[in-house]
Amino acid sequence: MEFYTNAFVQVLSFGPLTAMIGATLLGVFIGALPGLNPVMAIALLLPLTYSMDPLVALAMVAGIYNGSMYGGAIPAILLRIPGTPASIATTFDGFPMADKGEAAKALKIACWSSAVGGIASAIALMTVGPLLARVTLFFGPAEYFWIAIFGMASVGVMVGSDPVKGIMAAVLGLLIGTMGIDNLSGQARFTFDQTWLLGGLDLIVVLVGLYALPPVLQLAEKADLKGLSAAQLRLNDVPFKPGERRALIPTWLRASGIGIGVGILPGAGGNIAAFLSYNAAKNASDDPASFGKGNPQGVAAAECGNNADNAASMIPALALGIPGNVVAALVLSALTIHGLQPGPQLFHQNPVLVGGFMMEMLLTSVLIFALGGAVATRVFAQFQRLPGVLLVPSILILMCVGVYVINGRPVDLWVMLAAGLAGYFLEKVNVPLAPVILGMILGPMAEQSVRRALLISRGDATELLTRPISAALAIATVLVIIWPIAKAMRRRRDAGKA
Amino acid sequence: MKIKTILLGLTAVTALAAPALAEYPERAIELTIPACAGGGTDTSARKLAILLEEKLGTSIAILNVGGGGGSVGASQFMQAKPDGYALFATWNSPLTTVPQVQNVAYALDSFTPIASTSETAYTLCVKTDFPATTGAEFLAELAANPGKYTYGNDGIGGTMQLAAERIFQAKGIDAIAIPFGGAGETLQNFLGGHVDIYGGSISTVLPYVENGEAKCPLVTSAADVPALSGASGLAALGLGDKETLLWRAILGPKGLDQAIVDKLAEVIDAAVNDPSYVEFLATKGEVPNVVKGEDLGARLQTEYDALAEVSKNLGL
Repeated sequence: MEFYTNAFVQVLSFGPLTAMIGATLLGVFIGALPGLNPVMAIALLLPLTYSMDPLVALAMVAGIYNGSMYGGAIPAILLRIPGTPASIATTFDGFPMADKGEAAKALKIACWSSAVGGIASAIALMTVGPLLARVTLFFGPAEYFWIAIFGMASVGVMVGSDPVKGIMAAVLGLLIGTMGIDNLSGQARFTFDQTWLLGGLDLIVVLVGLYALPPVLQLAEKADLKGLSAAQLRLNDVPFKPGERRALIPTWLRASGIGIGVGILPGAGGNIAAFLSYNAAKNASDDPASFGKGNPQGVAAAECGNNADNAASMIPALALGIPGNVVAALVLSALTIHGLQPGPQLFHQNPVLVGGFMMEMLLTSVLIFALGGAVATRVFAQFQRLPGVLLVPSILILMCVGVYVINGRPVDLWVMLAAGLAGYFLEKVNVPLAPVILGMILGPMAEQSVRRALLISRGDATELLTRPISAALAIATVLVIIWPIAKAMRRRRDAGKA
Repeated sequence: MKIKTILLGLTAVTALAAPALAEYPERAIELTIPACAGGGTDTSARKLAILLEEKLGTSIAILNVGGGGGSVGASQFMQAKPDGYALFATWNSPLTTVPQVQNVAYALDSFTPIASTSETAYTLCVKTDFPATTGAEFLAELAANPGKYTYGNDGIGGTMQLAAERIFQAKGIDAIAIPFGGAGETLQNFLGGHVDIYGGSISTVLPYVENGEAKCPLVTSAADVPALSGASGLAALGLGDKETLLWRAILGPKGLDQAIVDKLAEVIDAAVNDPSYVEFLATKGEVPNVVKGEDLGARLQTEYDALAEVSKNLGL
């Protein structure tokens, strides 16, 4: 406890405090701009932090990371354009809410949910983090295979009204995921002798195209020349109605748990956390049909889940020296530059710095309440008032800059355009887009894991089921498929009786 | 990392037409790193870039181009203009190892070697309860049990795997290679008991040697490594000629002016041997090692030829 009070005092000094406030605002901004993402922003900032007080540097990382996870929800709700990869699930119910004139309420729920998820995750990091980190070691290739399959099974909930189209979309994602060098054989697959394809198609590039371009094209189709007046925007603060907040608590608890669980396992990430949280909320709901049509629970689950992934993803990095995602790798690299050695001794090496960073992850989540609600939302939401003729080109330029910056090569712009046009036509024929992305993320994870597991077991496939954790995950996968079907059948039967 | 370049690039457009060497560098340099931000190569290069910025009096913009074990970045970089404003900070694998398993568009002569910066050995480590402790015992245990042990490595046909296989082939050892995405992932699977042997960089596993969870019988350098007192160097095992190291270097595109190469090599030499950089390298288990110009080219060629033989024997 003394450990944290010491760190607390350090963190509340002028430098880290201003850095946290500034970086959280910057993070919301980065998250809210489609194309710009936190990984890029943190990588950009990193060299500046080498000569800086490490607590100030880490405060900036924490602020940008947490702020942007929330910021991504703003365009997701207002324009159906996810600001970050993790806010795709937020568009499902956020945009329909905005469409019904409840944009302010959706933003407020997103803000609260992000803050709650971030706080829960930071508390997990500060308390059970090191303990949980050890548990993740039990997850070998066989277990990772089942996690990927479990994630894909949850596609079921996102396929929409026509399962065949949903499965087609997922298969498209799986196919795209096989492109590039195969890590286990060194073979190039579907690269057509193009060197830029050796690394596969960049997830973010495809994602920006697929998700941001179709809504932008729709905006363009409306050919709106006037924009909205301040009154039409209806972004006045709407207080929670009595009981409204309490109704969100079970969703928050569930999504926080899922986000922390996904975050702590190296490799999955905020988008998977948001998808799984959304899926769980829908499965638990009495009225699953209302999801996708503007159910506040959907926004709460997605936003809480993706923020709960953040601090938890630092657990294996700080406790074991194993970075689970690029942001965690950047944090470890910043610590290395400041002379610390990542690994189990990190806590003892510099408790003030490590404890301070955890505290900063917590405080920047708390800051989302204030900055997200009052300042950020009001300011960024004003963009929506721009007439389409200005809004459309502005977003397009941002998307191009963001995509170009990732790898610094013009060909990515063409990939984005192609993905965008594909997304536009897929939407026209009612093929859902979320399964494409899930396939792209989870396909390679499932494939590589199962092949590694089989290498280790010398080709004996029964080992995929006989290990206790993989067996449990396999059963959970079956349940997540059966659950919605069983529920729907029971409802039909009940309806039949009445 | 690229926004900076774009801004600086815009302001520098007017200055493009003046190639006078005397004033080199007169604008920002773009440093391509063929790996994602946050990894070992990236951290080393970024730290070095800060020192180089000071010594060259210009800013250096970092561009990370990961993927394909470094070949994506290398292929992209080989098309850069050889004007001294595009440099490439890489580790040896994309140049000497990856071409053995991938059909890449570049060859060693697609680049102008400038200077190497630092080097470190790979290590093979086991859990403390493994029935062998010294390098000789370790190799004997593996040789006596063909196909029994699995070792994690940084990727199929990666330098780490070839470094291990050079030793294994010399001793007639058959161990099963399990490729992972990097040393962190290998460590996770080693600690969790999913693979028997950790194969990868020293700095990643070092904390677990210090806390008694792991022991490292072998390093892939000829000499012993001070940080791993229990590990045998290859020379002590009579395998001195099988040394394979992880090393880092800065290169330019093909046809870079000799005067620029010399100037950069000199500045890199000074930066690498700066006490702050030496101290930084030590925390990662690396030591400075500056080989310049043509000598660096020869080093690359020798390593390329040796690894070509190993991968041929492996059937990769």
